[in-house]
Amino acid sequence: MQSYTQFGEAANKSVFESLGIDWQMLILQIIAFLILVFILGKYVYPWLMKSVDERQAKIEEASKAAAEAQTAAEDAEIRVEKLLKEARTEAADILATAKLESAAALAASEEKAKKRSEQIVADAQDEIQKEVVSAKKALHNETLELVALATEKVVGKAVSSKIDESLITDSLKAVK
Amino acid sequence: MNQFAALDLQVSIGAQEIFKIGNFSVTNALLCGVVGSLIAIIVLVYTALSVKRGIYNRFVGLVQWVFEGLLKQINDIIPDKKLAKKMTPLAMTIFFVVMFDYWLSVLPGLDTIKIAGVPILRSATADLNFTLALALITVVTVQIYAVKYLGVFGNIGRYIRNPLKNPIGAFEGALEIIGEFSRGLALALRLFGNAFAGEILLIVIGLLASYAATVVLPFFMIFELFIGFIQAYVFFVLVLIFTSLAVTHGGEHSEEPA
Repeated sequence: MQSYTQFGEAANKSVFESLGIDWQMLILQIIAFLILVFILGKYVYPWLMKSVDERQAKIEEASKAAAEAQTAAEDAEIRVEKLLKEARTEAADILATAKLESAAALAASEEKAKKRSEQIVADAQDEIQKEVVSAKKALHNETLELVALATEKVVGKAVSSKIDESLITDSLKAVK
Repeated sequence: MNQFAALDLQVSIGAQEIFKIGNFSVTNALLCGVVGSLIAIIVLVYTALSVKRGIYNRFVGLVQWVFEGLLKQINDIIPDKKLAKKMTPLAMTIFFVVMFDYWLSVLPGLDTIKIAGVPILRSATADLNFTLALALITVVTVQIYAVKYLGVFGNIGRYIRNPLKNPIGAFEGALEIIGEFSRGLALALRLFGNAFAGEILLIVIGLLASYAATVVLPFFMIFELFIGFIQAYVFFVLVLIFTSLAVTHGGEHSEEPA
């Protein structure tokens, strides 16, 4: 196959012909390209531009919503912090009050227990006193009986209870 | 040349005619340009319809993501929202059409599938007719918006100033006129040069690597896909920068990338 370049033939042609420039072709390509630009600009690009605008609007909306959410989150965080602070203060107050109340309750219960124990002791002493009085009385009576019996044995006769009693009383007085 | 001849390499700067419709010759670049434009239309229409119906998948998401990124770039470069919206169809179409057209040169069969000795696959971006058409559209559009924003005389005032009152300004104006032409020419030649060189690179690598091309070529194809994206993006950004500079009359000077 014959090999060649157009440079070799350029000597016999104009510059434009050598470069392959054909005015008819050039004008046709200009017109065809302008028609293509017009058709695409009229029917195709508006849809794509609209979609881009919509997407950008969505992105801006999302960005705005995100900023709002961040602000809300920050506000919520501040509120939570405030609430926590209040809760901590309240808890501290409650704790202090509870401590005071428990101390008071403890003191009261101690007082009550003390009173109760004193009461128990007093009651026990009363009881003992009563028991002592009762025992003394029982002993007195028994003594009287014994003395009566003894006197009866000594005198050898039974004396009436009136005589007996007077005798015993006398005896006791004498003993005393 | 002899070495290339031995490798059966054909290099043609201009697009080659495949068939004729009347007097109009249909070239391989034109055919690929139509296919590339159809792919761009299908991708964009499919995405727009999917978005309209609320059907989303990864592909739709990817196109939408790219579209959104480009739209952001437009709004960043052109401060006037109204003008940015007006420039969107042109800038977007340039990006997608250039990218898909460029990527067609990466398809297997480049320079091997031929009709009557003419390769069918030739990217439209590797045809000066296409790149020059895009550059002309850009330059004219920029001028239209410059006139709209600055007025006829305001726009002329960017180029022609009284040399007696303001000699430096007059010189600047002359440079501005040269700059307008060079910008347009650079737009066309940059894209053409990259695409054309990319195709030749793939052909040369294919021929030189011979059977090893199966392993070697994919790396260069990936590289070319990347370059295609970059070139489309560069063209897209330059359109916006030129527009922004033209409507912002403050004596700023452009920093055009090499």
